[in-house]
Amino acid sequence: MEAFDSLKNFIHPVQPLKENEWELFNSIWQPFECKRKTILTAAGETERHLYFVTEGVQRAFYVGDDQKEATIVFTYPYSFSGVADSFLTQTPSNCFFETLTASKFLRTTYRQFENLMNEYPAIQQLVLKLTAFALKGVLTRQIEIQCFSAEEKFRALLKRSPHVLQIISHKYLASYLGIDPTTFSKLLGSVRL
Amino acid sequence: MKSFKSIDLIEQLQADIRQLILAATYLEKEDPELLLSAPAPGKWSVAQVLEHLNSYGRYYLLAIEKSLEADKPQKQLFTPGWIGNYFTKIMKPGIDGKIGNKMNAPKNHRPAADLDIKPVIDNFLEQQQRLLELLEKAKQKDIGAIRTPISISRFIKLKVGDTFRFFVAHEQRHFFQIANTLPDTQKSTGKFQSIPPAIQRSPVF
Repeated sequence: MEAFDSLKNFIHPVQPLKENEWELFNSIWQPFECKRKTILTAAGETERHLYFVTEGVQRAFYVGDDQKEATIVFTYPYSFSGVADSFLTQTPSNCFFETLTASKFLRTTYRQFENLMNEYPAIQQLVLKLTAFALKGVLTRQIEIQCFSAEEKFRALLKRSPHVLQIISHKYLASYLGIDPTTFSKLLGSVRL
Repeated sequence: MKSFKSIDLIEQLQADIRQLILAATYLEKEDPELLLSAPAPGKWSVAQVLEHLNSYGRYYLLAIEKSLEADKPQKQLFTPGWIGNYFTKIMKPGIDGKIGNKMNAPKNHRPAADLDIKPVIDNFLEQQQRLLELLEKAKQKDIGAIRTPISISRFIKLKVGDTFRFFVAHEQRHFFQIANTLPDTQKSTGKFQSIPPAIQRSPVF
């Protein structure tokens, strides 16, 4: 199946697995699909699943005291998805996780995932590397949020992921950058990339 | 009667409950005075609506939990019973958010007017988390064979799959009421200027 090929192609450059390890790793994933605007994890819930996205766009967001939604992360093919910190620590999530468009995934549960991790050092190594890259991404974004102006954040996003302009509604992109939607459209009109 | 794939029905109900959790999370951050004021004399405040839901939750969550202890393993398909289906249908609001037939709550589910908002919302959110867990547990069970007594008579039992559907439809119905209550309260009290985002993102299912 195509989705499983994509998963293998995604994993292989990060951590090559032996044939038997790959087969076991492969066996814990089930296809799963849902409509747009489906909330897959609510704040307060502990993330049960790890997702591998093969179609659609999703986001994790936090509802602040001023009732503003802060978009924390977007995911789209091909990448892992879900509320990563809640999944890995098995503690309640601070965020909601929802699909923005109709989505298709491969999905596994914490229990199945943990069993393989405990048994196979190569799979543990894979998880460590994926987590390390995710952490690098989070800290890079942390710097941007704290130190960059609205225009710098806008430029950094479009340099890193120019295609998001086409696939994600601009109001969510503005919420991701922590800037006003009107500021976002002004930047879109004025900034030469 | 149309059958559902059990797992699809359960996951749809879980997604519906998560929408309610999101809506309640907005309410949690709303001005307490807005939530405690009646939209019109004799009408329920938002706090009263939530406490009305909590009072049903106190019965049904326990009843469902108890019935799920039965040793009846999962079946792929779930066919609603006719009573359960009827209850769910009359409860469920239309897609446009219109609540068709009005009902009167039984005496023991009419909440007091002098409520403390924080414990009411906390309790509501706790109940929804428990409901999500019960649905997770129900994935392993035959939700067509296990039955749960309804709150007004222990002699009438619904398939637990229907109890879940009916219970969630009841909550959705009242969240549409809440979405209507907030702007009415703003108008009648004249105190609140802006439309709270809780309404802008109303619980549309």
